[in-house]
Amino acid sequence: MLIEEIIIFGTIKSGVYALLALGFTLIYGISGVVNLAHGSFYMLGAYLFFIIGTLGILGSGTILSSILALIFAVILVGVIGSVTYRLTIHPVVGDEIAVMVVTVCLALIFQQLVILVFGVTFPPVRWPEDSFLMTSIRILGVPVLYSRILAFVASMALFASLLVFITKTKIGKAMRAVSQDREVAMLMGVNTERLYMLTMAISAMLAAVAGILITTSFEMFAGSWMWLHPLALSFSIVILGGMGSIKGSLVGAFIIGYAEQTVAISVPEGGQIISVVPLAVMVLVLLLRPKGLFGKRIEMEE
Amino acid sequence: MVLSYLRRAHSSFAAHVFDIPPRLMVFLFLLILLAVPITGISDYYMGILTSANVLAIFAVSWDLLVGRTGQISLGHSLFLGIGGYSSALIFKYYGLPIWITIPLAMLIGSLFSVLIGFPCLRVKGPYLALVTMAFPLILYRIVKWAPLTPIFGRVGIIVPSFFHFLPIRQQVIAEFYFTLILLFASSVIIYKIANSKTGIVFMSILDDEVASQACGINVTKHKLMAFVISGMFASLAGCLFVHLLRLAESSVFLLTVSFIPVIITFLGGIGTIYGPIVGAYIYSILDKYVLGQMLPNLLEQWQMTLPTEFEYAKLLIFTSIVVILVIKWPRGIARYTTDRLEDLEEARDLDERGPRIWKRYKQKNRN
Repeated sequence: MLIEEIIIFGTIKSGVYALLALGFTLIYGISGVVNLAHGSFYMLGAYLFFIIGTLGILGSGTILSSILALIFAVILVGVIGSVTYRLTIHPVVGDEIAVMVVTVCLALIFQQLVILVFGVTFPPVRWPEDSFLMTSIRILGVPVLYSRILAFVASMALFASLLVFITKTKIGKAMRAVSQDREVAMLMGVNTERLYMLTMAISAMLAAVAGILITTSFEMFAGSWMWLHPLALSFSIVILGGMGSIKGSLVGAFIIGYAEQTVAISVPEGGQIISVVPLAVMVLVLLLRPKGLFGKRIEMEE
Repeated sequence: MVLSYLRRAHSSFAAHVFDIPPRLMVFLFLLILLAVPITGISDYYMGILTSANVLAIFAVSWDLLVGRTGQISLGHSLFLGIGGYSSALIFKYYGLPIWITIPLAMLIGSLFSVLIGFPCLRVKGPYLALVTMAFPLILYRIVKWAPLTPIFGRVGIIVPSFFHFLPIRQQVIAEFYFTLILLFASSVIIYKIANSKTGIVFMSILDDEVASQACGINVTKHKLMAFVISGMFASLAGCLFVHLLRLAESSVFLLTVSFIPVIITFLGGIGTIYGPIVGAYIYSILDKYVLGQMLPNLLEQWQMTLPTEFEYAKLLIFTSIVVILVIKWPRGIARYTTDRLEDLEEARDLDERGPRIWKRYKQKNRN
């Protein structure tokens, strides 16, 4: 029973974490920005999903309207992401300290804005109550909600389609070119600024999807603190897998997801220290193998 | 016409103001601060200045690590918490007087920074910032979870304040002088270190790590040294805070606390030692007086009140200021004045004074 729970819930969570980490590694690999506001896009996704759902512009109470709300929320977060990138991060790109300070500032700004708007109320973020997504099915004797299965399937499908996008399309090729050598890519006629904005939008959208999927299937409530844990998750997964490596982010997500689920189930009061797990894994990785599992060697600064 | 006249007046004024040697400026600044209690301002404002003193120690220690050595730490609240908790726990379990727990807490803080510095300093740049960010978050959870600190990470006793044997007014004044003396001492020590031979090595690590390694400098040793000195003074600030607020709480480990020295240092100017001190006073006065007292009073005259969420909006304002400062004016307020000084001196064909690390650092990295 215990093992099955770890395997099933670990797999589901890991799938979504992979999506989260993919966004983080994408923007790092392509423009070299360590985006510490990544968790905020996760949070904004959940909040916008709730806001659009309650406003009821797209209808309410049905699965279709919820999915429409999800799509709109994700697109909005993408727009917010690329606009904030253009306004605040772009002027300081290339200066690591400044980028990190600015992105932490952004994360705190989003957090404070959420507190200002919502105060101490925690809006429920979930699928419509009476839909089949809230019913459960038994897998290996463990009851699993359909919404969790949806979360896993949807995130894996998105992950795969993003891989295809990066490897097969022309824009994806441009992205890889820029990540290899920015100047040469510029000489070949790639508009790097626009590409960075697009990458940031994709990255923010991935975070938002992950946020909505996790909150709707596991946590059910949104709060202003919820950006920190996904941020810790995404950077520890990315460091475990190797900065800028897509394969690494998938493998890292599964390792961290299973580790987290094991601690949550087997340690007494494990839910309390669950957020320590990814951080502890990250510290261990940096101690033992700083380049991560699939990363290239950390280059010396030029 | 008026504008050009004003500009000329300003530059001649500035030329005279900046002729004052820096040592005298420091002395005047100190004299003004020493004279503050004589003006008889209320205990609340004295408290603001006292906490500004402690914040200044904290920010100066951050500046030595980040501004002078280039090792970015986004988790400096770790040392603040360790200093505070070790002081409080030593008091709880051994009942030692404060005068012994403070040096002990500093010792524990520096031991911890050696322990944490060894693994952390194997990595650099964004990796270092992420690891340093992770440690206080880990400790935050552990402190809440551990049996040593039962209720929400509180130590469970009321920590004594420094001068509990005095009447309340004298106590406030004594605390102010005590923290001021400690601030003066620690910033002088850090300034001396930063301008000694070791400090020059720190700056060479900031400028180019590989080149300084090639020159035969033991880079790891010096990075660790900066880390330990910084951690030691940050834990001093932490245990001062615990005794001023009279409780140790797990919330010191939060990211927002780690971010206070960043705000202060960017307000004052990164890479100087005096910048964070000025920044700490600006920050405290803005935070507690302008936004906490002046604005509500002003609004009250127009029959308006601030919403209760305004307490959170303060951080919003400060973080926005930092974003704008980093983008538009990356050298801070105190640095701006010294820049003027340097410009004037250059115009008069004199030597450059003071480090210009931040500018050079940006020029190097922006291309």
